[in-house]
Amino acid sequence: MLLDPGMDLTLRPMRYPDFYEQYRAAIRNTWTVEEVDLASDVADLAKLTPDEHHLVHRLVAFFATGDSIVANNLVLNLYKHVNAPEARLYLSRQLFEEAVHVQFYLTLLDTYLPDPDERAKAFAAIEHIPSIREKGEFCFRWIDSIDSLDQLRTRDDRRKFLLNLICFAACIEGLFFYGAFAYVYWLRDRGLLDGLATGTNWVFRDESMHMAFAFSVVDTVRREEPDLFDDELTEQVGTMLDEAVECELQFARDVCGPGLPGMNAKDMHDYLRYVADQRLVRLGLPARYGTRNPFAFMELQDVQELTNFFERRVSAYQVAVSGTVDLDEDF
Amino acid sequence: MTVTAPLSAVDDLTAEVAAHAADLPDVDPARVLAAVDRGRTADAGPAELRDLAVRAAAALIGEEPRYSKLAARLLAGGIRAEAPPDFPASVAAAHAEGLVADDTAAFVAAHAAELAAVVDPAGDDRFEYFGLRTVYDRYLLRHPVTRRVLESPQHFWLRVACGLSDTVADAAELYRLLSALAYLPSSPTLFNAGTRRPQLSSCFLLDSPRDELESIYQRYTEIAMLSKYAGGIGVSFTRVRARGSLIRGTNGSSNGIVPWLRTLDASVAAVNQGGRRKGAACVYLEPWHADVEEFLELRDSTGDDARRTHNLNLALWVPDELMRRVEADGTWSLFDPKAVPELTDLWGDRFDAAYRAAEDAGLATRTVPARQLYGRMMRTLAQTGNGWMTFKDAANRACNQTALPENVVHLSNLCTEILEVTGDDVTAVCNLGSVNLAAHLDGPDLDWPRLASTVRTAVRFLDRTIDRGYYPTDPAARSNRRWRPVGLGVMGLADVFFRLRLPFDSPEALALSTRIAEEIALAAYETSVELAREHGPHPAFPDTRAARGQLHPDHFPVTPRHPDRWAAVRAGVAEHGLRNSLLVAIAPTATIASIAGCAECIEPVVSNAFKRETLSGEFLQLNPYLVADLKRLGRWDRATRDAIKQGDGSVQHLTWLPADLRALYRTAWELPQKALIDLAAARQPYVDQSQSLNLFMASPTIGKLSSMYAYAWRAGLKTTYYLRSRPATRIALATVQAGQTCDLENPETCEACQ
Repeated sequence: MLLDPGMDLTLRPMRYPDFYEQYRAAIRNTWTVEEVDLASDVADLAKLTPDEHHLVHRLVAFFATGDSIVANNLVLNLYKHVNAPEARLYLSRQLFEEAVHVQFYLTLLDTYLPDPDERAKAFAAIEHIPSIREKGEFCFRWIDSIDSLDQLRTRDDRRKFLLNLICFAACIEGLFFYGAFAYVYWLRDRGLLDGLATGTNWVFRDESMHMAFAFSVVDTVRREEPDLFDDELTEQVGTMLDEAVECELQFARDVCGPGLPGMNAKDMHDYLRYVADQRLVRLGLPARYGTRNPFAFMELQDVQELTNFFERRVSAYQVAVSGTVDLDEDF
Repeated sequence: MTVTAPLSAVDDLTAEVAAHAADLPDVDPARVLAAVDRGRTADAGPAELRDLAVRAAAALIGEEPRYSKLAARLLAGGIRAEAPPDFPASVAAAHAEGLVADDTAAFVAAHAAELAAVVDPAGDDRFEYFGLRTVYDRYLLRHPVTRRVLESPQHFWLRVACGLSDTVADAAELYRLLSALAYLPSSPTLFNAGTRRPQLSSCFLLDSPRDELESIYQRYTEIAMLSKYAGGIGVSFTRVRARGSLIRGTNGSSNGIVPWLRTLDASVAAVNQGGRRKGAACVYLEPWHADVEEFLELRDSTGDDARRTHNLNLALWVPDELMRRVEADGTWSLFDPKAVPELTDLWGDRFDAAYRAAEDAGLATRTVPARQLYGRMMRTLAQTGNGWMTFKDAANRACNQTALPENVVHLSNLCTEILEVTGDDVTAVCNLGSVNLAAHLDGPDLDWPRLASTVRTAVRFLDRTIDRGYYPTDPAARSNRRWRPVGLGVMGLADVFFRLRLPFDSPEALALSTRIAEEIALAAYETSVELAREHGPHPAFPDTRAARGQLHPDHFPVTPRHPDRWAAVRAGVAEHGLRNSLLVAIAPTATIASIAGCAECIEPVVSNAFKRETLSGEFLQLNPYLVADLKRLGRWDRATRDAIKQGDGSVQHLTWLPADLRALYRTAWELPQKALIDLAAARQPYVDQSQSLNLFMASPTIGKLSSMYAYAWRAGLKTTYYLRSRPATRIALATVQAGQTCDLENPETCEACQ
């Protein structure tokens, strides 16, 4: 079974070809930080109102450490226990993507914050900005929850692992990041910080994949060990999401202050609960909050982009292409 | 005058939204107002409230396309409040700020009353939201300091018209076309007509720098000058020596073209076009150049960044000989242009002979299997969309400018629709405009006489831009006055097909599209003969094929629909000549199509629901024809909308949708690409320059691509443009209702799709 202790090295016969396909799809999605053009952002920053400025600063301060935390959990807690080489291929790839995200936000902060003192402060936000520290503590608590587990021997161990996995997929990548993406797209909806939005689009695409992979691990474990999924787990996941929503909400109160046009903590609260419901439903659990998505600009994330090359770089290409020259194929 | 106590800003807005929505069925003002109420800050003023209302209405377009009208009306009200009240005041204000040219200002001042009467008060209501937003964000003249707009949309159209006119009647004639969104000139003309720097041309084509340092740096300067005023650049680098070539002066060896292109890349990115958009350039290379493989990697997102150019577009200028050798699975020789400087100035049989002679003389740097190189070209297209396939011999064979052997087309432009002769001190230029076909529909057919009339006006004004334009460099000015080429294109072809219910791959669509091309070419040639009769032929007319009695359709095995009119054109050309060496080019129309609210040029729609990313944020665009059909069927509801989103804008999985509608609403990804190529090939005889033809393949393979481009070459296309493909994975749907996801694997179990 997938969570049985060990370091399985056998790729053939492949037990979980779906994980391998996800790995290959991720490879085709390669992008690099150098492709993101931040030039117009610098001009935009000068135009921001003080409230918008505050929002952007809080946002990038969160981004400064968010992906590193996810990468740490991957290394410390996930890679060790998901015992299939094809799944570990995916996790290795995910680790690379997290590194690219870290690099993107590093480049972003270096560009946005030319003053070295301010820059240092932003990178240390997790220590001295309370609303970000609280999110960090939520993450660390869940990292620590299974840090001491070397092997998943007992049913209890495995449930602890599942909670960690679900926390990082549903609450951190799937909720904290989704909250942050909403601020970015709200800004872009106002024609601001195009470079941030472009990079975020690609980060968003990657995070969607990470979440999909984690949930497919959950699905696999459920298939193999259905008895792990009982009412208690449902309750624990629910409570965890409650806490995550609260945690992100206190961040929203800090980020939005008294509210900006079209963006305030109240709407963000509805949005977060709406997103949390999506995660629950994906996990096969009943929705818990029943709010609607108040952010119309997030509707736009669902549909195809058509980029005018005068304006943005085209991100819609695949990296790995196969085949040989043939003049008689159907096309 | 008594001043009544002002209503509160919220009450004003409430009344305005209700008034705007009165004639819009299925539009609920309360939903917009509720969103405003939720989103507003405590001390919101009228501007913030209006902005929130506009955004709230725009966000509902995904549910009901008519909210686009409401959003547009609200935005138009805001713009009118911001801009000066009437046309003369608007031009005077822009003149005072140094934006509008003295002569335009004087013309307007002298005819203030007549011109003010030309303005159509209903004009703004023709815009959909996307179009008006684009005009507002990017096109209207703004105060240099306050950034407030100095013209309303109708005054913008009229300013452009006055900038190209000497009489009120002329200005009114063009204004009426613009205001009706029936014809739009290209963006540089819209940006700059009537201003102090009337750079009106869209494209510049520069010959390869000579193989020497001074020439390369001189090209950088020219490109920067041309780019500064919103022109797109095509430039060849085929003459520049390849890597490893000996540098006599220092006895060292060359690093090839890549380092030069890196410098060009940085230079192009640095030139911001008037603060409006970044400069853009496409580099052309003939695939016998020994650096071609490195050239193909310039846009890769992996590898050594010191050998990458992220801003440049790349195109190959492919001789038939390469394609023949690919077909025959033969070998292909790569040369240092220093060893074969003559090759780039030859095409057709003379190129073939010289190329083979160079091979026989052992001048090749390397020889590779032709299919190996072709495979790499296809890989670049698949991975980057770049490395456009343009065909040197087809481009030269039918070009009106290549009657003399010394006049050679060496490259196309940034969008692969312009084909004109260049030389070391001859920079080709083109002024563009596009007819909105959707605006010429009349019931079940096109209004052909009105289409011809639009074309006649369009050609007259395009011709005028040649004389009124400001040219940033001398080689550009000289060549444009000598050849006087223009590029009239179309947009909204897909709208016509939707309205007439013709699938893109139907024989009727092919016949109609070809007829449109012929009617446009005829009216354009007739007008150019007329202009030649009035003002004389363009100075280089004796050097053209037309002067030898050969018109563009003669190069193709076609039977025109109107042989009598072509005969009359032929007689007219013999008697008066042509005012313009080239007349028709189908440009991509990305921005002007969104202003006009129609589909881009000759393209099928890429999705029935897509967002368009622009500098002014993201817009959602729905296929309004599909929505109307779904409403008729009583199926325009949340479940259907979610199903379309789940299907990435496709309707093929909606099995309850009648088959004819499913066929009609296939997206570009779902249509056979052969059909797009066939349509393009059938219209090619009537397009004397070329077409920006994008091709679409969701998951390209080398095999499929190599077959497709070989087919395009055999079909006789002169050029192709981007290969569009899709990302391997997509963003998780953020807003599809949980629990109702659509299982594409098992459509019979899916409620939404049945």
